[in-house]
This record gives sequence, structure tokens and C-alpha cells, in this order.
Amino acid sequence: MATKTHELGQDIVSTVTADTFETLVLNASGETVVEFMSYGCSHCHAIEPIFQEVARTMAATQNYYRVNVAIDSDLELSYHIEGTPTFVMFLDGAEVGRVEGPDPTLSSLTAAVTQPYHS
Amino acid sequence: MSDLLPLTKPTLLFDGQCAVCRRIALWVQRSAKNRAGESNIVERPIGNDPDELRSLNASLNIWDAYAVIHLLMPDGSMKQGGEAVAEVLRNLPNCRWFAWSFRVGVFGHRPFQWLLNGAYIILSKSRPLLGCESCGTPSQWMQPIRKSAKWVQSLFVKPSEQATKVHSTSRPSSKTS
Repeated sequence: MATKTHELGQDIVSTVTADTFETLVLNASGETVVEFMSYGCSHCHAIEPIFQEVARTMAATQNYYRVNVAIDSDLELSYHIEGTPTFVMFLDGAEVGRVEGPDPTLSSLTAAVTQPYHS
Repeated sequence: MSDLLPLTKPTLLFDGQCAVCRRIALWVQRSAKNRAGESNIVERPIGNDPDELRSLNASLNIWDAYAVIHLLMPDGSMKQGGEAVAEVLRNLPNCRWFAWSFRVGVFGHRPFQWLLNGAYIILSKSRPLLGCESCGTPSQWMQPIRKSAKWVQSLFVKPSEQATKVHSTSRPSSKTS
């Protein structure tokens, strides 16, 4: 299996790695949101349930993935990630926007991950 | 869950990305050896695989594991925070003489355990100040202490030395962690 989907039931965001990033993100068509995060980051922890809810709500129109920068530091460097969580929005494999450390609220995160596709 | 890994000794999970945690884990590792040279405690970094962690205890959540110290007991139970620290100390040959005090009850309360819980919370919140590069930015109430620590550090460390100490995951960004 190319990605690892967690079996918590409520976790619908898959982890993408350096090996699968090109296939699942860069070669994907449509809208893809990638969260660069680490499990030791308290801000990532705070926003995780919000991110899950946004992903669940938007699942019909957007793909959602996470990159664990503690493992995939090459991806972190490639995308010049300067803090976690950073959400990078892709359209047909090309970056169209990003947001660093949005407020952990549903409205704020929803706006952050949809705004680049509407501008 | 049937595919749980059996634990024969208390297993201490620690944040392998946190310098403070690694130092504490090393101290525990050295202190946990009994007279026969065997360790009373098994240690392992939390890692990055939620599924692997759940193979140790089905109710173990990787986010929680990073947020609070966890000690997995052979009977399947878990101790967290100050309770985990007390249990670790009870398993260290040099500390168990006073670690039993944490079980002492007075009028239904355990005052020494209560103090230990408070000390653990302060230490946990202070990790970003003590060299934990993966712990993110400190809590708001810690910010004045952080600024003071940085100021003191700047008095003793030259800017060129500070630059070499910046870890790749340590970010200047104030909002993100």
C-alpha cells in the first residue's frame, strides 16, 4: 500500500512520504491539501481534530494528506517549510498557496485551505 | 486487540526528538540497572508510527504520547504524567527509598504525588526553554521566561556560535511550532 491510513476511524487523512509524494500529490489532478506536521508539535496537535473535520467535509472535492517532517525532512527542505503546521495547497500538482499555523478553528482552516482555489 | 506486543517490564516512552527527554531517558537507563546489571525499565522513543505505538497498547495515541510522558505497564495499564514519573522512580534502585513517599496519603490526598505532578507540569512546559527543538513554542505564560533565558544566553554565547546551534526543525517563526 502506498500510503498509511490510520485506523482510528476518525482519521481520514493519509500520510504521504517522499516515495509517494510525486504519485499522490504532484501527479494528482484536482485540488490537494498537504499538511506538513510532526507529532511532537503542540500546534499540530491542537489543529489535528479541526483538520480532520475539514478533510471530512471537503473530501468530495479535495484530497488531504500529511507529511511528517520528522521523517521526510527532504520534503520539508524542498518546500521551504519554516514551521509546523504548514498547509500547502496544490492544483493539478502545482502549488497554488500555503498557510503557516492557521488558527485552530474550523472557519479559519476551511478558509485557509479553500481560498487559494478561489482566487 | 489480539496482536499486542507483550511487555515484560515497564516501558517508558520518550520523545526521541527532544534533547531534554533524551538526556532524562539516558539517566533513567543508567539508573534503572539492578545489582545483576539488568534494567528494570525498558525505554523506547515514541517514533512516528501511530500503528506501531498501538501495538504496544491499543488505547495509546501518538499525540498524547508526545504531549505527556507515558509508562506502559506489563499488566496492560498505562501511567501518565506525574504518576508515570513516580512509577519510574520506584523502579530505580537508587530512588525507590523516597519514591514510595508518593503513595503516602493524608486525608485521602497524596501530597507528595501532588507536588510531583506540579513539578512534572512545570518541567514539561519548560522543555522548549531547555533545548527541546521539537516541542514547539512555549506556552504564553512561559514567554517572559523564554525571553529572559535568551537574553542571558546572548550574554554568554557569541552570535556565530548561536547560528551553529540552530537545528533544522527549530524555527524562528513565532506562531508556528
